[in-house]
Amino acid sequence: MSYARLQHGGPLRRAFVFLGLTLFVVWSAGPILWLLLTSVLQQKALIQQPPDLSLENFTLANFTAVIASAASLGRGIVNSLVVASFSTTVALAVGAPAAYALARLPVPRANGIAFLILATQMLPGIAIAIPLFIVISKLGLIDNVFSLGVVYLSFNLPIVVWILRGFFLGIPWGIEKAAAVDGAGIFATFWHVILPISWSPLVASAVFAFVEAWNEFFFALILTRQQAQTVPLVIAQFAGQYQTVFGQMMAAAVISVAPVILLAILFRNQIIRGFADGMMKG
Amino acid sequence: MNAIELKSISKTFGDYTACRDVSLAIPVGEFVTLLGASGCGKTTTLNMIAGLEDATTGDILMNGARVNDLSPVQRDVAMVFQNYALYPHMSVARNIGFTLKMRGMGKDEIRSRVEKVAASLELSTMLDRLPAQLSGGQQQRVAIGRALVREPRTFLFDEPFSNLDASLRMKMRAEVKELHQRLGVTSIFVTHDQEEAMSISDRIAVMHQGRIEQVGTPEQIYNRPATRYVATFIGNPRIELSSAVVVSEQGKTYCTVGSTRLALPSPLESGRKIEVGLRPEHVRLTDEAGIGAVVRLVQPVGPTTHVTLEWEGGTLVSSIPGFVRLARGASTRFKIDPERLLVFDQATGKLLQ
Amino acid sequence: MIKTYEQRRRRAGLLFVAPGLILLVAILGFPIVDSLLLSLQRVQLTGGSVSQNWVGPENFQRLFADPVFWKAAVNTAYFSVMEVILVTLASLGVALLLNHPMGRSGLFRVLLIVPWAIAPVANAVLWKWILNANYGVLNAILKSLGVIEYNQVWLGTPFSALNFLLIVDVWKSVPFVALLMLAGLQRVPQSLYRAAYMDGAGPLQNFLYVTLPNMRGILAIAIILQTIWSLRVFDLVFVLTHGGPADATVILNFLAYRVTFNFLDLGYGSAIANIIFVLTFLLATIYVWLLWPRQPGGTR
Repeated sequence: MSYARLQHGGPLRRAFVFLGLTLFVVWSAGPILWLLLTSVLQQKALIQQPPDLSLENFTLANFTAVIASAASLGRGIVNSLVVASFSTTVALAVGAPAAYALARLPVPRANGIAFLILATQMLPGIAIAIPLFIVISKLGLIDNVFSLGVVYLSFNLPIVVWILRGFFLGIPWGIEKAAAVDGAGIFATFWHVILPISWSPLVASAVFAFVEAWNEFFFALILTRQQAQTVPLVIAQFAGQYQTVFGQMMAAAVISVAPVILLAILFRNQIIRGFADGMMKG
Repeated sequence: MNAIELKSISKTFGDYTACRDVSLAIPVGEFVTLLGASGCGKTTTLNMIAGLEDATTGDILMNGARVNDLSPVQRDVAMVFQNYALYPHMSVARNIGFTLKMRGMGKDEIRSRVEKVAASLELSTMLDRLPAQLSGGQQQRVAIGRALVREPRTFLFDEPFSNLDASLRMKMRAEVKELHQRLGVTSIFVTHDQEEAMSISDRIAVMHQGRIEQVGTPEQIYNRPATRYVATFIGNPRIELSSAVVVSEQGKTYCTVGSTRLALPSPLESGRKIEVGLRPEHVRLTDEAGIGAVVRLVQPVGPTTHVTLEWEGGTLVSSIPGFVRLARGASTRFKIDPERLLVFDQATGKLLQ
Repeated sequence: MIKTYEQRRRRAGLLFVAPGLILLVAILGFPIVDSLLLSLQRVQLTGGSVSQNWVGPENFQRLFADPVFWKAAVNTAYFSVMEVILVTLASLGVALLLNHPMGRSGLFRVLLIVPWAIAPVANAVLWKWILNANYGVLNAILKSLGVIEYNQVWLGTPFSALNFLLIVDVWKSVPFVALLMLAGLQRVPQSLYRAAYMDGAGPLQNFLYVTLPNMRGILAIAIILQTIWSLRVFDLVFVLTHGGPADATVILNFLAYRVTFNFLDLGYGSAIANIIFVLTFLLATIYVWLLWPRQPGGTR
């Protein structure tokens, strides 16, 4: 058997792989397609069994109805935007230097600290939610986008550190020595030399953190009331409200997940690479 | 006043000692090489001179002043690294000019200085390129340019050519030597390649296990190696040593290797245990009377042929000009030049002459 | 005086790490400790204010005697173990498929990142619709294929509901984990495969003796991460079943939430939460101990 033949396999193996890939595509893409389809179909088409997919039933009415009637959706999107952006920005600003220090600078027990930071992700949200709820209530900061954003740092910060540290560990040592001999201080080195070559992991961790913050439901449920509701809460509400108007329910879902999905698709390579690198070096 | 002086510096990391009691005086304009195998402490010493690592004990002086507490910039040193360590996201011009930018120099002055240095290194057409777009030799020249533009008092080189292929390495060595002859800047070079050290240095400091074994000119190191280690480290092919015992007879001293008797270049007390060896070019094969040996390996390299022999004292290599017709397993005889015999004390490894 | 390069690096190290550590201690460290303390108290919210009384291990005693707790524990164990097994096997399979020359298209990456990016809530809403008894598309497809005769209420029976929760979460989790495994697969040096080929190895032997051993670290991490993630599932339960039918889909996470925010028994809820934490930590430690690749010489 030639080496190429070993890699590609004979016709039987290729058929098997083809079948497997097809099944996988159908399995993964099916529900998403159905989500999109439902959102552009009229109610009467959806309540037929099986659903009537003839062309005249396609409509944008679901979207217009949702956008028109649901001020809460608009507010939810704005809130999510604020919370996610705020949380991501702080996570990057604080996490990047921390990741650099844990990867390259002589911090005592750096590996231990890095591991601890990762270990915090083992905490179930409920364990910290209750004390946080009490404190935030006492401070009168319930239903506030910024307090939510700060709470989100509990997982955004470790993500940023995880991804960036993995990357920083792989930079060749020489550049920092060269910068030192060239007269750059530690922060100047970080700013002028290290960060500019870290585009990919920076983007990866930013998108990762943003997506996680946007999609977060549990803390938002507990820590917000009316004002600071984020998109996931609005969706959950719709699921209760629009129980029978399926098209509109899906349309609302599409509107709320679209921004983040687009982000993810745009930066998919960075995300995967960043997370995988963090994993390998961890 | 010496350009650089190291006074008993040492470096320890926890219980590991990288350098101990290293002392060296380097006059202005000298090209000194720190030579040794990996882990001998040469890079650590260089880092201490540069200011990248702190000396645990000892003093580092530059032009008479103690510089232990000064940063690399304040010591006015520039460094060329293994793997060049160029900033990958910066163009050649910005790579070279970075240090000037850190110093706060104005844009115009930076540009003119960079262009001048680039011209001297034949990099003028590459100023806007990124390091990834350059060849290995060009990258190395950018690294040198980055050091040159500082016009420093000292140049430091950290195994800059280890990653280049053979022909490029020879070329870069010549360029560095020419540069030194042209500019006359005090230079400290680190390498594990003894041929490299021999060819470009004014003096060589051979290091082993954190200590300096010997400092001297290439000739001194080669012809009068202070220790067994230096003798075996320098010279290609490697010198082979054999154990021997000093024997005194009728007023003359010899040494015996098994049943073979060899004349000693200078007298020693009888009964002393020694090790003796000869550089391959001083071992001559002969058809006349001589010491018996069997040919084990024949390696022609062009101008010479290295013949590995097995004799009573162990292994010995003989370098013969040109090509030789000798078969493996053939018996032959060799003669030695007693004046060239290197004699070392077996216990201390030090040269006895 | 901090002047030398080494000294400045040490100082910078501490300065760079400090803000992050302080933040994490404040947002995570203090709550963990407080949560432990709360679990030893009876906490009641009366009229907007919080009253706290020390009751020692009472909450835990109540917990261990509570059949609802044990039911939830069993559900959680089942859910977690099944999810880890299914996701790991499926992801590895998908990764292997994608590693084959036929699977190299970039389009797969686009497809695979989408389920990861969908909010778990949105995912739950979508599947609620798909699994809808009267109008859901799953029933429609199965009926038209002749697999079932009548519409099934998939979320209506305990066993079915819990397993469908499982399926939905597996559906969402597999793509991303598959991508990670794929990254791991691609890091196995080609030279190893070539050497194995020279030794006469076929595809199966390649997989067993070259691929799997080199994937050990990735597999370990994937399993640990999946375990942690599976124990944090909340959105699905909240939207799809809200714990029903008859508490069949109440997992520990959800139970803690319900006890705390519906029954307002913060002390008891904290106790449950701490149990979850201990469980997660134990499992993760066990997996690490079992699966972590050993360094040559038997040390880690």
